[in-house]
Amino acid sequence: MTPLEILAAAANGTPAPRIPVFCNLLDQGPRELGMHAKDYFADGEAVANAQLRLLERYGHDNVWSLQYVGKEAELLGCKDILFADDGVPNVADFVIKNLDDIARLEVPADITSHPAWQSIADCLRVLRAEVGATHPICAYVTSSTTLPAILMGMEKWMELFLLGPADARDELLRKCSDFCRQHIAALREAGANVLVYSSPFGSPYFVSKKIIEKSVLPWMRRDLEPGGTADMVYYCGMAPFNEVIDLVFDELNIKTHYISPLADLAEAKRLINTRGLTCGVIDDIKMIHWSPEQTRAEVKRIIDIGKPGGHFLFGTGVMPLALPEANIRALVTAALEFGRLS
Amino acid sequence: MPKNYIEAYNEAVFETDKQAALEVVNQALNDGLTPEDVVFHLIIPAVQAMMERIEKDPDSNLAQHFMTAQIAADVTERMLEKFSTPPEVIGRVVIGAAYGDLHSLGKRIVIGCLKSMMIDVIDLGINIGPEQFVDSAVEHEAQVIAISAMMVHTATGENGSQKVRVLLHERGLEGKIKLVVGGAPFRFDHELYAKVGADAWAPDGVTAAKVIAQLIQEVTA
Repeated sequence: MTPLEILAAAANGTPAPRIPVFCNLLDQGPRELGMHAKDYFADGEAVANAQLRLLERYGHDNVWSLQYVGKEAELLGCKDILFADDGVPNVADFVIKNLDDIARLEVPADITSHPAWQSIADCLRVLRAEVGATHPICAYVTSSTTLPAILMGMEKWMELFLLGPADARDELLRKCSDFCRQHIAALREAGANVLVYSSPFGSPYFVSKKIIEKSVLPWMRRDLEPGGTADMVYYCGMAPFNEVIDLVFDELNIKTHYISPLADLAEAKRLINTRGLTCGVIDDIKMIHWSPEQTRAEVKRIIDIGKPGGHFLFGTGVMPLALPEANIRALVTAALEFGRLS
Repeated sequence: MPKNYIEAYNEAVFETDKQAALEVVNQALNDGLTPEDVVFHLIIPAVQAMMERIEKDPDSNLAQHFMTAQIAADVTERMLEKFSTPPEVIGRVVIGAAYGDLHSLGKRIVIGCLKSMMIDVIDLGINIGPEQFVDSAVEHEAQVIAISAMMVHTATGENGSQKVRVLLHERGLEGKIKLVVGGAPFRFDHELYAKVGADAWAPDGVTAAKVIAQLIQEVTA
C-alpha cells in the first residue's frame, strides 16, 4: 500500500500493514541543502527538494509544502520576516499597527497572483509531480481567529479579541476568514491533500470553552464552509484541546485530531474512538535531550496507547533543528516498527 | 477588606469580564476604601489568590492570565496616582524577549502582575541580546533578569539565556542577580530551564510573577 492508502485505511478503519507515520521536518530543510534560511524559503523548488530528500532518508509517510507560518502574513502585506539559521522565521513587521489599519487591510482578490504565493506554488508543483499520487502532501492553514496574531502580534490581538472594540474585531475576523477560505481553496487546487487547520483559539488552553462556543466556533464554521472538511486536521498549535473534541466533531465535522503531547492521549483516543483519526504526537522538545533509546521508548509508549482499535496515526510536533539526527532516525524507525498491524 | 470583594473581583477576572472587575473596584472605593486599601488589600491579595488558583487548576487559560495581569495593572496604575505617599518598591526586574524572539504577550502578562505587586519593572522589549540583559540589570540594580522565549531556538540558542548565564558568571554577578525563563518550550520540557542555565522557570505569566517575587526575596534576604 502507498502511504496515501495507509492514511486512508487508518481514517476509515480498514486493514493496512501499519499505522501512518507523519514527521514534520520543516526546520531541517535549509541545512539539508546547505542553504541559508532566507534563500531556501524564497525558493519553493528547494523546499520541495529538501522534503523529498528527507522523505527518502527517513522513510516516513508525508511531505510538507509549508515554508513558514509568516507566509500568510506576507500574502496580506507583511514586508519583513526575521530569518534565523538555527530556527523558524518570525514575522518582524506587523501589517496592523493600530486599529485604523484594520479598515485599510485588503485581502487580495486572488492570492495565487500575489508574488509571495510563487514559492508555495513552485513547492507544491514539484511535490505533486513527484509524490502526489502516493504520499500525503500536507499544508498549513491558520484559522481566522488566530491569523490576526501574526498580523498585529498576539498581545494586541488578545486585547482586541477579549476587550474589543467589537466592530473592529469583527471586521478583522471577517477579512481573515475571507483570506482563510481563499487560502484553503488555493492549497487544494495546487495539490495539497492534507490541510492542517491551525486554530489555537479553538483550544481551551487559550480561551474558555464558553468563549470558544460563542466567539470562535462561528468563525471556524465560516472558514471551513466551502469545500468541506474531509481533508482537514484539527490542530491547536500544540495546545491541548480534548475538552472540545466532541464540539469539533459535532459543529465542524473535522474527523482528524492532532493531539498535543501535553494532553491525555488515552482520553483523546477514547473520545474520538472510531469516529475519526487520533494523531498521537511525541514531545519533540524533550526529545532534543533524549538518547535514541529514550526516543524509541517514548514512541512505543505512544503507539501502545493509540494503536489498539485502529484509527490512529503517529505524528511529531515542531521537530526543532536542535534535534540530533540519530533521534530523528530512531523515531521514524521505531514508529514504523511498533506501528505494524499485520 | 471584606473577603467578598476579593472573591467577586477574581470571579470577574476568571470570567475575563473586565467591566465587572472594575465595578468591584469602584464599589470598594464608593464604600470608603482608600486607593492604598484597594491596591494592598484587594488587588495584591486577588493576584496572589489567582496565582494559587492557577497553580491548582492546570486548565486555567491564557485569556484568564492575560486579564488577571491587564486588569491588575490598570487598576494599580490608576490607584497609584491617588496615593498619599509613593509606595515602597520591593524589588526590581529586568525583562525582555530573548534574542531573535519577537513575541511579547507572555512578557506583558508577567509585567502586569509584577507592577501590581509593587515590583519595579524595566521592560527592554523584544529581540534582546544577552549583553543588554546583563548591562541593564547592573545599571538598574535589578535582582532578577527575566527572559521570555516562545520558540525552541530562542529558548535554547547560544545568544539566549545560556549566554546570559555565562556573562553573569564571568562578571561575578550570580549571587546578586537571578535568572528566570518562561515561554512555550519550557512547558514541554520542565527541565529545560536548567539546561539553558536559568535559576527558575514558570509555566505561565501569572506564576512567573510569583517566582520572580520569590527570587527577589532570596537575593535581598
